[in-house]
Amino acid sequence: MVALEGLSLRAGATTLVRDITLHVAGGTWCTIVGPNGAGKTSLVAAVAGLRSPASGSVRIDGHDLTEIHERDRARLVAYVPQHPEVPAGMRVEEYVALGRVAFHGVLRAPSRRDREVVEGVLDRLELNGFRERDSASLSGGERQRMVLARALAQATKVVVLDEPTTGLDVRHQMDILELLTKEVAECGLTVVATLHDLTLAALFTDRLVLLDRGEVRCDGPAHDVVRSAMLAEAYGTPLRVVDVDGSDVVVPVRGHTGR
Amino acid sequence: MVQVVPPSRRRVLVVTFLTVAATVVAVFCGLVVGPTSIAASRIFGDALSHLGLGHSQLSALQSTIVWQLRAPRMVLGMLAGAMLAVAGGTYQGVFRNPLADPYLLGVAAGAGLGATLAIVDISTAALTPVWTPLLAFAGAMVAVALTWLIGGRSLRSTPATLVLAGVAVSALFTSAQTFLQQQSSTQSIARVYIWLLGSLASASWHSVLIVLPYVVICAVVCVAAGRALDVMSVGDDEARSLGLSVRSLRLVVVAASSLGTAAIVSVVGLIGFVGIIVPHIVRLLVGTSYRRILPISVLFGAAFLVLADTAARTVMAPSELPLGVVTAVIGAPVFVVILSLRRLGSS
Repeated sequence: MVALEGLSLRAGATTLVRDITLHVAGGTWCTIVGPNGAGKTSLVAAVAGLRSPASGSVRIDGHDLTEIHERDRARLVAYVPQHPEVPAGMRVEEYVALGRVAFHGVLRAPSRRDREVVEGVLDRLELNGFRERDSASLSGGERQRMVLARALAQATKVVVLDEPTTGLDVRHQMDILELLTKEVAECGLTVVATLHDLTLAALFTDRLVLLDRGEVRCDGPAHDVVRSAMLAEAYGTPLRVVDVDGSDVVVPVRGHTGR
Repeated sequence: MVQVVPPSRRRVLVVTFLTVAATVVAVFCGLVVGPTSIAASRIFGDALSHLGLGHSQLSALQSTIVWQLRAPRMVLGMLAGAMLAVAGGTYQGVFRNPLADPYLLGVAAGAGLGATLAIVDISTAALTPVWTPLLAFAGAMVAVALTWLIGGRSLRSTPATLVLAGVAVSALFTSAQTFLQQQSSTQSIARVYIWLLGSLASASWHSVLIVLPYVVICAVVCVAAGRALDVMSVGDDEARSLGLSVRSLRLVVVAASSLGTAAIVSVVGLIGFVGIIVPHIVRLLVGTSYRRILPISVLFGAAFLVLADTAARTVMAPSELPLGVVTAVIGAPVFVVILSLRRLGSS
């Protein structure tokens, strides 16, 4: 579904991400983890088609993202940035309906089909009670659900999320990740996300990819990646993995200096 | 963060109705108010007689005053107000900057230099009236094109890069204009100032016809971009992820609003403040969606400028106040009042 082949990304003379080859199967969830500055945000932006590769390619469903029109791309992959901009004065339902622009275009009003999709998503994400509210007035948890709703309204097979749990309390973190899990299981959605919380990443994700200094250090089932020696090395601080009722909990250990 | 309550549909309808009413009042004032007193009913009867209904009660002189002086001035005022307002609103959307308007990217400075060149260099010739709009228009377009070449072409350019390029280009053009002005005669300086402050006094059907195609096409493009500007309110990257070709859209919209503004400025001079204040007043009344702001700004701007011009030519009659001064004197307090009402209403 998502295929990165020898992908490198640069900003000026700096290489952000080097020679990454990664295939994510349809209907699965792949999480990119790694320390700050590893290149996670750049990598997922490239998967969403918002960053052009310096070399290599990003394909979704067989389409090279640099070769298709932005409108076609928006029907293949949706993107939830780490800090979404939520304009004041826009109703929640209007905000979610922005996800349909690639379908009806900027010169036409939404079709009946577009409105039905938006209704469906508002229902599924339990946003009906907020639909008339100003989108900028929502709490952090409600807001994140609204942004996710906009991405789901794009009705793409792939959704890319950059740190979708940033700034949320533990309950709202669980809410968002459960919602995504449900979409993966029930609708066959393919998710590529970054997460900074290793325990949550291990709890929800089939597969973890450890990124460090722009390169993939480790790639595999979450259970194996959190136990790899590479993990502590990448973060530069010792980590311990504790098994709590079958779930891996990643705990930092105090009193050691890093790299 | 300021909380903005999305306006009800009823409120939008009421504001639209009031704006249409204001436009009708503006047409009335533009035709009826003036130093020569002519009854409104006679003007109306004359208008009907032109349509083959009834016969006119106006003398030939009165008819000339109404249809060759007041009417073109009113129509030009409407075109100017509509274009400046819709272009300002469009710029604010496309740059996501509340202080943006076409003047920002060099239209004002470029037109100013062009007009000054025409007035200073050809001041003795009878050709000045012909050359002033042409050179003003050319100056405005050169300045905006230069801004775009410097700030808008690199792949990593952001709206801020373009605005900064506009500031630099404006500074360059303004300094050249100031130099020219400083080298010229006192008489030319006075004429340059009159042009800089903007006026509808030289309006004719000829000038209306010159700007009409520009204004119609450019205003239609701006209004049609409303939905796209709403999408752009989530920022460039997110708008792109939603399927918008942000760079080409910005090019089209900036080109349309700059071209329309340059056409207007070349004929009426630099009327300030309309592009900033009208869209903001409309935004305070009908909310943040450009699908509502832009079409209402067209009407509001048209009505606003004609009413301001009516004040400009009556307050100190028989002499006229500079229109740019009047727009600021009327616009600023109105803006402050609406802003404070809005605060009271939302707290």
